[in-house]
Amino acid sequence: MPDVWDDEELLAALGEAVKARQAVPEWFVETGKNAYAWHNIDAELAQLTYDSDGDRGVAAAVRSEAASIRALTFTSARLSIALGVASDSLMGQIIPAQPGTLEVHTTGGVTSSPVDEIGCFAVAPIPASPFRLRCRTEDGADVLTGWITL
Amino acid sequence: MRDDPTVVALVNRAARGDPAAWNEIVERYAPLVWAICTRFQLSSHDREDVGQNVWLLLVEQLGKLREPAALPGWLATTTHRECLRVVTAARKSERLGTGLDDAPEFVNNTMIDEEILMAERNAALRTALAELPPRCRQLMAMLISDPPCSYAEISATLQIPVGSIGPQRARCLERLRKSSALAGFGDLDVHWAKDEKHA
Repeated sequence: MPDVWDDEELLAALGEAVKARQAVPEWFVETGKNAYAWHNIDAELAQLTYDSDGDRGVAAAVRSEAASIRALTFTSARLSIALGVASDSLMGQIIPAQPGTLEVHTTGGVTSSPVDEIGCFAVAPIPASPFRLRCRTEDGADVLTGWITL
Repeated sequence: MRDDPTVVALVNRAARGDPAAWNEIVERYAPLVWAICTRFQLSSHDREDVGQNVWLLLVEQLGKLREPAALPGWLATTTHRECLRVVTAARKSERLGTGLDDAPEFVNNTMIDEEILMAERNAALRTALAELPPRCRQLMAMLISDPPCSYAEISATLQIPVGSIGPQRARCLERLRKSSALAGFGDLDVHWAKDEKHA
């Protein structure tokens, strides 16, 4: 089909194609490649089922949520994670209340904090980049939220 | 639009756990995501935010995409949506709605379609270029460099007589034209790229 392109057109198109790739910084490409670490994570996905920022629909659960969120609830079959956004930290609770471990995953790495006997946890500071929470409880639940941006 | 068998194969391989296939998807389409961020005039920080989200969303969608061939379209619309999210969040934080009324109308479907077509064509052209013999690749690189190399420079660098550059150029371009990677792209307006900045 490109037979209709003469040499000059083909060369110009080739130049554009190469330029378009060269315009992209390597860090941007690396960000994309690193995302594959999330492939086939063996945890139950918790859906966003409540969002105090009313004009954002629950339908948006598959994508990360944007600023001005005050309270969120993520729900899976085994447990829910209620999340409140304070000025400098996140306060959360696992429902039903049970102890476990909470991990905060960002593209930069993972930090973990304990979930106490009544299911409460705190995350400080609030991650600046998109993050997701993974909660593992002592009775074996393993639940992962979608991406959250605050 | 054509269904690119390469894209389908890459998506299927990545869904089955092949990181090389994933990397190739990112290499092919990062320019598409980047170009859309550029249209939205996003800061470097916002581009990182958008890029992260787009690729993370794709990782979760691998294996669920109903039509893997539609991947470029999925990427373009997802990137547009993420860019809008970032732009909207920035406006909200400014509190006053200044500039909202005269903000450029960022998204229209024609624009997205054009971006997808360009991204697919550019990816195909880069694939076709990569498949050329090394000598041809070198020659092409020198011919498309900006500013373009003179025939004297090409002659000195590639150690071929000036008089044979023209014929070699024609032969290499003919090979490129016959590349299977480029099958199906002849009907696109080659000049679109030059006009898009004014769209």
